[in-house]
Amino acid sequence: MSQTQTTKTTYHIPIGPIHPALKEPVYFEFEIAGEKIVDVDVKLGHVHRAVEWASRKRNPIQILYLAERICGICSYCHPAAFTLAVEKIADIEVPERAEYLRVIQGELERITSHLLWAGVAAHEIGFDTVLYLTWQIREKVLDLTEYLTGNRITKGIMMIGGIRRDITKDMLPRIKKDLEYYKECYDKLGKVFLNDKTVKMRSQDAGILTKDEAMKLCAVGPTTRASGVKKDVRVDTSYFAYGDLDIECITPEVLTGEVNGDVYDRIIQRLLEVKQAIELIEDCIDKMPSGDIVAEPKLAKLLNQLKKANGEAIGIHEAPRGEVIHYVKMDGNEAPFTWKVRAPTYNNILPWIPMLKGEQIADIPIVAASTDPCMSCTNRVGIVKDGRKYELTKEQLHKLSIAKTRRLMK
Amino acid sequence: MAKGLTKAFKRALWVYHCNSGSCNGCDIEIIAALCPRYDVERFGIKLVGSPRHADVLLVTGPVTRQMADKVKRVYEQMADPKAVICVGNCGNTGDVFYESYNLVGPINQILPVDVHVIGCPPRPEAIIMAVAKAWTKLETLEAK
Amino acid sequence: MSEDKLLTAEGIVKSFKDEFKTKIIDAQIKEHAAGTKKNSTTSIWMKVDSKAFKDVVKHLISLQYPHLAVASGNDLGKTIELIYHFTVNFGYNRKQINLNISVEVPKAKPEIQSICDLIPGALITEREKMEMLGVDIIGIPDKRRLFVPEDFPKGVYPWRRDETGPEKYYKNLHEVKK
Repeated sequence: MSQTQTTKTTYHIPIGPIHPALKEPVYFEFEIAGEKIVDVDVKLGHVHRAVEWASRKRNPIQILYLAERICGICSYCHPAAFTLAVEKIADIEVPERAEYLRVIQGELERITSHLLWAGVAAHEIGFDTVLYLTWQIREKVLDLTEYLTGNRITKGIMMIGGIRRDITKDMLPRIKKDLEYYKECYDKLGKVFLNDKTVKMRSQDAGILTKDEAMKLCAVGPTTRASGVKKDVRVDTSYFAYGDLDIECITPEVLTGEVNGDVYDRIIQRLLEVKQAIELIEDCIDKMPSGDIVAEPKLAKLLNQLKKANGEAIGIHEAPRGEVIHYVKMDGNEAPFTWKVRAPTYNNILPWIPMLKGEQIADIPIVAASTDPCMSCTNRVGIVKDGRKYELTKEQLHKLSIAKTRRLMK
Repeated sequence: MAKGLTKAFKRALWVYHCNSGSCNGCDIEIIAALCPRYDVERFGIKLVGSPRHADVLLVTGPVTRQMADKVKRVYEQMADPKAVICVGNCGNTGDVFYESYNLVGPINQILPVDVHVIGCPPRPEAIIMAVAKAWTKLETLEAK
Repeated sequence: MSEDKLLTAEGIVKSFKDEFKTKIIDAQIKEHAAGTKKNSTTSIWMKVDSKAFKDVVKHLISLQYPHLAVASGNDLGKTIELIYHFTVNFGYNRKQINLNISVEVPKAKPEIQSICDLIPGALITEREKMEMLGVDIIGIPDKRRLFVPEDFPKGVYPWRRDETGPEKYYKNLHEVKK
């Protein structure tokens, strides 16, 4: 009986636009040898709605509402960066009370976004209980958001020259009570995530991004801070009221003493940022001066002022996922000449490649979700093996991830 | 609640969610509907991972060119009787994205939609109401 | 890197002007203050000749490894302007300097050198400029389309304002067919 020589080839797995790890359409192609990933390729563009092109026919106030719907999870950061750019061009002086209110809204959004991420990450590991726990706390934060702004997700609170709604004295007791509640929940969450053995086993040494790679690939946000690079727009530049507050750049060594750049570090990073956000909101409420909340309350006058504006500027803001940068150029017409939007996830896509190489297939959901991409997908995975097609559904990929947890627990 | 649900739900409704280029606001409210505060799981409604297991399709987002035929394929893979719910303003009319070079019409140009849920994003209560309405449609379809 | 090795805005402009002399067409320093204490942030806007662009970036890396945020583009009629947004001095309290380097290329021959070998993170933003403005980036390792679907016709550049713009593919979703 002769034995045929088998050559080891790699298999290609496409994980197409709808897939389990994230919530937006993005297309991956993995090249795997056995269980280990050898190479990764990413294809984007499924959510391309031509937002920048649509802005050529709208005036800046209409663009504010368009910018909010670029992303639903970080729906405050895009209008924030846009108004920063427009205010620089048109030389609009924002009242000081409005700057503090903007910080409060921004930090509240950071808390909701990180809690959302914590739930999704726990779901990928297999802890559905923690998903429900974190989202239950998130519902309380959304209640506070609704009390302050009127809606849960697309708040519509940013206005060029200020902010649309004020926080009056009778709202303060409710805010203070809620902040106390969040601090208790933070302690509970800290115990669940940081002291649990299974979370540590699944996440330590998985998806490592070294400091050098993070610098070279220009990663932003908690992804890069967890690798030790100190990039935080709130600390580096002075915008809104961050210049007056006592804020410093957090890296995981505050808690554990060393920086590894793996998924566990990113979990620590985001939990520490939630605590920082709660403290910043308290600080702002104490220090907020009184005054107007918007520089020009009449919209027609504001639009006239913006029509005469001429020039170009950039607006940078620290969204929950990283640095958002908008470039606006106005040339004396009502609509801007150019508007360029750069969401933070676009810089965090290239780091997926070194993070996923060498990992196992079952680790794909947790590693990809650990950078908190602003994308959602659920799709089927097709593997071609020896010419026969096997199809893994989202459930099976998710089950692989959970099965690995059970194996490690034994 | 909609009329016609007095008979106990004969079969638990399984839902598949498909994102055709949305901003994720509607997707988050769909997942929030499963969480302990709104809790649709007590009715047996759950989110499944494959369209072949699902009875109801939840579509969000204005359909981009890349996702148009994928959404169609997902619909064709579902087994009869099925219902389609269009969640959010983007899928219904286009909302703020009404003019673009990369979008292919509201969802009812591509799939036959049974229930429209409006809002940007619609509250989880509205989504649960929509699923209940789709249920009555499925019950009438099964009775035939 | 310690605090005394941080760059200043005047220092950066002087260093570039000494090195490249006439290739730097224009350089402006702007400051913007915010909050009650009125701390300010500095931005430098520099116009550079397109042939010297890659050397300018190499010089910047020799001063300090920058962070490339994004590259934006303008269609100015006969030329296409690309603006690369860099930031330096991050990691220290409020010392960041935003450095915006703009390059103009003629529409008849829109070519520019790629900086992917110096800054690997520039790949995604360069691919976007190639498909949106029709700029030919020489030396880029990956020339595929990024956001625009593959079946979109070649030669149509969504950000341009001339006849190669996407006007033909415009669809109004609010239209009701009678």
